[in-house]
Amino acid sequence: MASRYDRAITVFSPDGHLFQVEYAQEAVKKGSTAVGIRGANIVVLGVEKKSVAKLQDERTVRKICALDDHVCMAFAGLTADARVVINRARVECQSHRLTVEDPVTVEYITRFIATLKQKYTQSNGRRPFGISALIVGFDDDGIPRLYQTDPSGTYHAWKANAIGRSAKTVREFLEKNYTEDAIASDNEAIKLAIKALLEVVQSGGKNIELAVIRRNQALKMFSAKEVELHVTEIEKEKEEAEKKKSKKSV
Amino acid sequence: MAATFFGEVVKAPCRAGTEDEEEEDEGRRETPEDREVRQQLARKREVRLLRRQTKTSLEVSLLEKYPCSKFIIAIGNNAVAFLSSFVMNSGVWEEVGCAKLWNEWCRTTDTIHLSSTEAFCVFYHLKSNPSVFLCQCSCYVAEDQQYQWLEKVFGSCPRKNMQITILTCRHVTDYKTSESTGSLPSPFLKALKTQNFKDPVCCPLLEQPNIVHDLPAAVLSYCQVWKIPAILYLCYTDVMKLDLITVEAFKPILSTRSLKGLVKNIPQSTELLKKLMTTNEIQSNIYT
Repeated sequence: MASRYDRAITVFSPDGHLFQVEYAQEAVKKGSTAVGIRGANIVVLGVEKKSVAKLQDERTVRKICALDDHVCMAFAGLTADARVVINRARVECQSHRLTVEDPVTVEYITRFIATLKQKYTQSNGRRPFGISALIVGFDDDGIPRLYQTDPSGTYHAWKANAIGRSAKTVREFLEKNYTEDAIASDNEAIKLAIKALLEVVQSGGKNIELAVIRRNQALKMFSAKEVELHVTEIEKEKEEAEKKKSKKSV
Repeated sequence: MAATFFGEVVKAPCRAGTEDEEEEDEGRRETPEDREVRQQLARKREVRLLRRQTKTSLEVSLLEKYPCSKFIIAIGNNAVAFLSSFVMNSGVWEEVGCAKLWNEWCRTTDTIHLSSTEAFCVFYHLKSNPSVFLCQCSCYVAEDQQYQWLEKVFGSCPRKNMQITILTCRHVTDYKTSESTGSLPSPFLKALKTQNFKDPVCCPLLEQPNIVHDLPAAVLSYCQVWKIPAILYLCYTDVMKLDLITVEAFKPILSTRSLKGLVKNIPQSTELLKKLMTTNEIQSNIYT
């Protein structure tokens, strides 16, 4: 049945599926994992860095992009589609600033991106965008926000979420470990993001990229050294926890 | 006859056969050229089993030449990586032969000089116990070649006192279930066994209406017909290229009787697997 109803985007199948949209969600799973965490005073975005070819300039392979000074996003899926969406979002952020003389709220820009994605699920001859995005930032009222969009054009607010390859494993980890204590301090929220990524990242800390936004501060991208520091801290804590366990059992 | 949504008229297939068929047959007679082309194609697609060192063909089928008690077959790059890191690393395996074949899926048109990095089937046996065999098959065996492969490997009258274990992968979108694929815990393992396989299975059995395809299906059918105990472990994954998490999904098999005694150093194997992953990473800029 699927083969008759999946060629044109504007066609519903008899059982109500939009197959192109569902296939676009498969394309998202081909991108590497991205995780977003909303802390009490910080928002964290962690991504699994794609392995860069030897001759490629690493700076041009970026999964975390700033949309404005106070909003940034991470995506998973088709690189080219992401570039188009990000450009449109960035223009919209500045247009909003000039028109209304206020920076965009995180919800506004998320709604803009989601509406854009939905339009492409209802136009003839066009295919949906093959990306999911995690959008984080602080609004003027100082409240941290994390939103997730997907190729169908839906968006929801989350406390913590993951997209891309093995997103389900990471989400299950977050469901178990996201507690009020875990996000109480900035450091703890950062470590939670790294721990969640380490569940699925193939070669440890070297392949993790991290970005945070703190209240009233600009986006900060962590250097490789800073990420390594956190990773070693996490590994030490793990060892200590295991030693305690073995002492107890003895 | 049926009309579709776009207004095209599609002829419904009819099992009773149509009247047109008889007329077609009368008009076609095979010319010598047709025969020549057909024979050339058959020669090109022939499955040859060779001894790698001497480059000579094996005269009889592999399992008729050597006695076998256990045969583990890995089909696909993730299954092959699993056996390379966990099983081949834990013992001394000697190569006994390889199967060379060509079909449209092969990346090379040269059927004679397939290099060692080209994908095809390699057969090994354990030096300390030569009745334990292993096959690493990383090429696609087409439908018309599967029977030849089975004949060259198992022979026309196989012994029944051996146990076959097959490992392979399939994309999770092929898994038919009433749940949405988004909620499936991929990668996950399913098993399918022949009637004569009596050992305990380490994962749930494959449910209907799911079916097995390609070479694993051919081997399993062959074993069922010849009453050989065989089990297929099928890993459904959403990453078909070489991937650490997919390969690790095969780990429960390490505790079964099929691989008992063949796996020694698991932490070392995991390290080896990680190295294999990094050396094999294919660069693609389409997805980030």
